[in-house]
Amino acid sequence: MQIKHIITMTVAGLIAATSLTGCSAATGPTSTNELTIVTHDSAVFTEELLAEFKAETGITVTQVKAGDAGEMTNKLVLTKDAPIGDLVYGIDNTFAPAAIEAEIFDTTGDYAENPLREIDYADVCLNYDKAWFADQGLTPPTKLADLTKPEYKGLTVLTNPSTSSPGLAFLTATVATFGEAGWEQYWSDLQANKVKIASGWEDAYFTDFSGSSGQGAYPIVLSYSSSPAFEIRDNGQSQTASIMDGCFRQWEYAAVLKGAKNVVGAQKFIDFMLGQSFQTALPDSMYVYPVTEGIALPEAWAQFAPAATNTVGGDLNIAANRMGWLVKWSAIFGNN
Amino acid sequence: MIKRSALWAAPLLFVGVLFYWPLTNILQTGFTSEWIETFSEPSSLRAIWFTVWQALVSTLLCLVLGIPGAYLLYRKSFPGQKFIRALVTVPLVLPTIVVAIAFTSFRDLPAIWLIILAHIFINYSITVRTLGGVWATMDVETEEAAAIAGAGRLRTLWSISLPQLKPALVSAGALTFLFCASSYGIVLVLGGGLVQSIETEISIAALQYLDLPKASALAIFQTLLTAMAFIVSDRITKGTVGIEQVDEGGNKPRVDKRDWLAVVVTGAIIVGLIGWPIAQVISKSFSFDGVLSMQNFENLSTRGERDLLNITVLNAAVNSLRNAAIATVISVALGTLVAYLLSRPALTKIAKLSNRTLDALFLLPMGVSSVVLGFGYLVTFGGGPLPLRSSWLVVPLVQALMALPLVIRLVYPALLSIGSEHREAAETEGASAGQIWWQIEAPMIRGVLATATGYAAVVSIGEFGAASLLAYGNQATLPTILYSLISRPGAVNYGMAMAVCAILIALTLLLVFLVSVRGSNQTQRQP
Repeated sequence: MQIKHIITMTVAGLIAATSLTGCSAATGPTSTNELTIVTHDSAVFTEELLAEFKAETGITVTQVKAGDAGEMTNKLVLTKDAPIGDLVYGIDNTFAPAAIEAEIFDTTGDYAENPLREIDYADVCLNYDKAWFADQGLTPPTKLADLTKPEYKGLTVLTNPSTSSPGLAFLTATVATFGEAGWEQYWSDLQANKVKIASGWEDAYFTDFSGSSGQGAYPIVLSYSSSPAFEIRDNGQSQTASIMDGCFRQWEYAAVLKGAKNVVGAQKFIDFMLGQSFQTALPDSMYVYPVTEGIALPEAWAQFAPAATNTVGGDLNIAANRMGWLVKWSAIFGNN
Repeated sequence: MIKRSALWAAPLLFVGVLFYWPLTNILQTGFTSEWIETFSEPSSLRAIWFTVWQALVSTLLCLVLGIPGAYLLYRKSFPGQKFIRALVTVPLVLPTIVVAIAFTSFRDLPAIWLIILAHIFINYSITVRTLGGVWATMDVETEEAAAIAGAGRLRTLWSISLPQLKPALVSAGALTFLFCASSYGIVLVLGGGLVQSIETEISIAALQYLDLPKASALAIFQTLLTAMAFIVSDRITKGTVGIEQVDEGGNKPRVDKRDWLAVVVTGAIIVGLIGWPIAQVISKSFSFDGVLSMQNFENLSTRGERDLLNITVLNAAVNSLRNAAIATVISVALGTLVAYLLSRPALTKIAKLSNRTLDALFLLPMGVSSVVLGFGYLVTFGGGPLPLRSSWLVVPLVQALMALPLVIRLVYPALLSIGSEHREAAETEGASAGQIWWQIEAPMIRGVLATATGYAAVVSIGEFGAASLLAYGNQATLPTILYSLISRPGAVNYGMAMAVCAILIALTLLLVFLVSVRGSNQTQRQP
């Protein structure tokens, strides 16, 4: 059999397949009672909330998970001529500038000035294992600079800023804390003090951190200020706590996508996300803090996981500096 | 000839639409003249170098360690043999993050050794099964004669068994090399994101920087690497096929004292490298708040702490099983068809060449970056003429695509090893090609077909990349649920994730065990 035949056949097959499904696609729904929301993998819309939205507006919501925040942003940029949804939720302040520059958002009407709406926030903070420090009779660190001290040698696990979003947030926090002149030295000192670098949050938290269910070997981990609310033991106390110095605040936004089929529905959903029910559910469903004023936090959060009172790095231009920081960071830590 | 061309249509259409079309689309998107510059970047060169050498080392170790394993598990007999055969296949389904958890005891090793150990952990069964499948059906008489003449086990192995096993060895080696060279999660997680392979460079370029030209350039290189591995294996295998086929039923000798070396090596691997890490995960699944408990399993009927998941874990298990059934049927049917067509004698030079090209065409999906393919799906099937992406069927279809090369690699050498005598004899008697296949060839390779079925199901059940990209809402599968559970803090979700792992492990054991029992029973019934 000749190669030419194969190619001809493949092409013929492709055309056949294409025309076949072309027919079925035409019968697909075009009604405006449907709304497709693109989110990162961690977004959870409970059935109860979606049912409430449907009862209010008659709109059925479909959620499309598109990877982590960075992956999702890039997918949206890649498909901006034929968007994969009407609304995006979960783009954060580290990726938003790049997304705005790529012009993927609807900027008509109320959204002309700023296409993004703040929905919630999370604070990336170091956590430590209270039980471990108590057992060792060692005072836990209270600020970023402590991590380079000899008594905390080999106790910390961080995440790689080029492969994890909390890692990038923490890198930004170190630039903000130690300045462009000092942050590289700080990381060199961290390396000399035997910090471990994990590729992502899951890996650091569950295989290396001693205060989680994974019971690893490192009592200090890069996580979120909310994490201690999920480490409450039988005695009613959390096994972990956050170090409140050097926290970076990640804002999460919702925005209507340019070329959306259901712009009105998307705007309605943004209003819904800012309403009482959705905001109240945020800590439980997505482990983040609500932005709307006057929403009470769950009890465990109020007690063990308050938001940071002082955050750093919010004024830095992450989109513009990311590449440069990562290159310098890799020069310190890259070992291949 | 016309009929045979018609048979090619289905498998070609399948890979054409589901693989080459989206791949071409995405590579075009990244097509610029700056490709060459990518290769002069030190980071690219380092990644290429690391990918090649770690894959070579991993493959070599898998082969060397797998030979005694195949010998003990397929050529000899001992109690519990079938269970062990199933056990070594389990690592294939464990998602990366779970391998990292399972490897906790090894985590003080340098990252590079962790990666190589993990690659052996995952791919060991490929050598064992590929070699074993052929070895089990190989004539014992020559080996016995050598033994009687006083040759030691190693000598017999070296001068009699291995030459006959060469095609299977090369086939297993090529497959393992491709898996190790395209391994993504293992390099990322166990290397802490600090050790870069081609695959992780592609992923960082594409996902973090949306640098599609660089991602495409590296993806093309990776494709070339796959093709090269294929050409090398093809060259080495050529001319050495035609092993005398004997039915597996015969009584296999028990393990004896002279097998001590094989027992020590295989025992160490099965207990230390495979059994121990798996036991770690299982023991975590039965532990809740530090005490022995079934709580994690009871929680599986829920949607996780605070209804984190869209569906319950049980529903996800049903999805996984349904996908596995569909993917297995498609990949075994198409894969066997391709292997069958490839194994027909090629008479002309052109036919030989096109046979080899076709073989490579079906192998390529294994060596191509899942990130690149995922982006390809996004731009090709998102809307457009074929809106596959919104259909739940897309997940089992992609899983079938992933399992297809594995099925071909298992069935093709087995068909070649049958030799042409039986077929030619039957042809002289006037049997049609269909009759020959159903009545002579298929029964002879039943064991291998069963193995291929098991592997296809296992690959589908453990598959994460496509499922995470394409299966959302109520279509989540066990691996995607596991990642959702483990991406949040809290003992309840972690415990549930470990319970999901225990179920993945149990499902794999059960599947592989059932298939191996069935396969060998049927073979034994052959006269």
